[in-house]
Amino acid sequence: MAEKKRIYGRCEYPGKVEGEALVAPKYLQGFTNVAPAKGYTTERNHPLYRVPYTGKILCFYSPRGSGGFLQYGFGKKPAGFVHTKSSPLTVGCMTQGHVPAMTDFEEDPMKYIETGDTVFINADEGYIEITKKEK
Amino acid sequence: MEQATKWPMPALTDEEKRILQGEEGTVKQKCMQYLVELCRISGADKLVDLDGTCDMHTPGFNLNQYIGFTYDELAEFVAQGGRFKVPTFANKSPFYEEAPIHGWEQCNICSYRNPALRHDDPAFHEKALHKEEMDLLKKMGMITTHSCANYLTMSYLPSVGAQCAWFESSQMPYCNATLGARTNIDGSLATAILGKAPHYGMRVTENRYGTILVKTDRLIHTDMEFDVYGFAVGEACDVEVPVVTGTTRPTTTQYQKFNSACQTGGAVSMYHMPGFTPEAPTIEFATGGKPFVREVMIDDSILRKTYEGLNYHKTDKVDMVYLGCPHLNIVDLMLLTRKLEGKKCKIPLWIMTAPWLYNHARDLGYVDIFKAAGATLMSGACLAAMGAVPEGVDCIAVDTAKQAQYITGCYADEGDFLQVCYGTQDDCIDAALTGTWHGEWR
Repeated sequence: MAEKKRIYGRCEYPGKVEGEALVAPKYLQGFTNVAPAKGYTTERNHPLYRVPYTGKILCFYSPRGSGGFLQYGFGKKPAGFVHTKSSPLTVGCMTQGHVPAMTDFEEDPMKYIETGDTVFINADEGYIEITKKEK
Repeated sequence: MEQATKWPMPALTDEEKRILQGEEGTVKQKCMQYLVELCRISGADKLVDLDGTCDMHTPGFNLNQYIGFTYDELAEFVAQGGRFKVPTFANKSPFYEEAPIHGWEQCNICSYRNPALRHDDPAFHEKALHKEEMDLLKKMGMITTHSCANYLTMSYLPSVGAQCAWFESSQMPYCNATLGARTNIDGSLATAILGKAPHYGMRVTENRYGTILVKTDRLIHTDMEFDVYGFAVGEACDVEVPVVTGTTRPTTTQYQKFNSACQTGGAVSMYHMPGFTPEAPTIEFATGGKPFVREVMIDDSILRKTYEGLNYHKTDKVDMVYLGCPHLNIVDLMLLTRKLEGKKCKIPLWIMTAPWLYNHARDLGYVDIFKAAGATLMSGACLAAMGAVPEGVDCIAVDTAKQAQYITGCYADEGDFLQVCYGTQDDCIDAALTGTWHGEWR
């Protein structure tokens, strides 16, 4: 059985969900640089350029740019959010998205999570569990 | 949501509890529900009373996808005397069309690229202004500055330390760093009607101290250097509070450049420039006497790389030049008349400013000078916000990192179709006069 790593943090939006992680290795940005109707980022030269995030656990350090980051909570949105640093941009996004979200962890989950891992968000109890994908 | 044990409620005053229970009507109740949700998401322990100003996207009848107001509901609120509790200003022209307030007749753009919705169509323009909704907001006290740089025309700026609720991203560091007032990105009908906002982030003194020392080996003194440096500082610091060194005293234009860029390359809502910004008479004041968490060197090679990243073109043939992101101030416009008077543009040159400055520019004769040079002065809008460039434009020249970063996002499904040349304002003027890009990092 694959080993699970549990990390405690702050519930940003309550609920429980499990899904496949999609990791953004670079800041995500909203406004014109996301297409909520299509469910992917549209920022030029971004590693996740046109990579679908719908239904995934979208994992990132922190967003940048416009308050339009809230559009990540519109339309074909992720199933949940895990991110290192909270900010007014993530607050705006979560008030739109209303999906389970965790932040401000006891240790940075971005050190462990890779795209394709399984992430269980239990925001009601204040933790996430990471199960590594099979190599 | 109440079952969530790890999602604490903020501490509310008796008055706030009464509002939440609906004792002051459904409009205020919905506003309070929304602000309480923001507190729980952000971890804010309480609400603060605003003593500064609000700034919001208009019309803004929906607070989020779940809490909003009908026109009739707000009209009833207004009829019963409902007003904004703090001075409230409109940023940008009304959503979602974000039409130019002036110059729309020359705006050959399809709104969000929908051929049925053209900005130069009088019927579309009239509808895009959302007059009925805006008239209602004006009765509540909305001051229709309609600019991403509405601090240029507010004529009522918040004092140092004043609690505000602004929303436009480039205005975050203008409010926090340049003015020394306090805001997060949370200006909305809820904050304007209740005069309250969640207590977290830049509202908390402890969070405003600088934690990262930023140095550079190049003296940052030109407008473009402030723009590129701001973008690089944003990328290096994201949500942290940098203490930025290596610059000359910023002009208003340079503050506009730096602020919009650091909120595009990153999410820097607050920074200090010791000796220049109001909360940083010295580095020790800027940090609260604490040691830096880390130091960042943004040397010339990083600045050059940042500049090159903002350029996104394989051709030097330019189809259009766009200036005015953020909206240009009146001195920018005056200086532009000097550069354009007696000249003739070879390709379209659009210049964007704040609507209330447009009127001054017209009175000063600038509109005629621009027109004679083949340039167009417009107000209130933005290409990226309109979601498109004019028809026939494959390569656009801009002098701002923010516009360079956002405009290509409108064309993601077309790969490299839209090319962007980024450089100094003089590079852009040269391109407007010759149709060719000669800009480079110097």
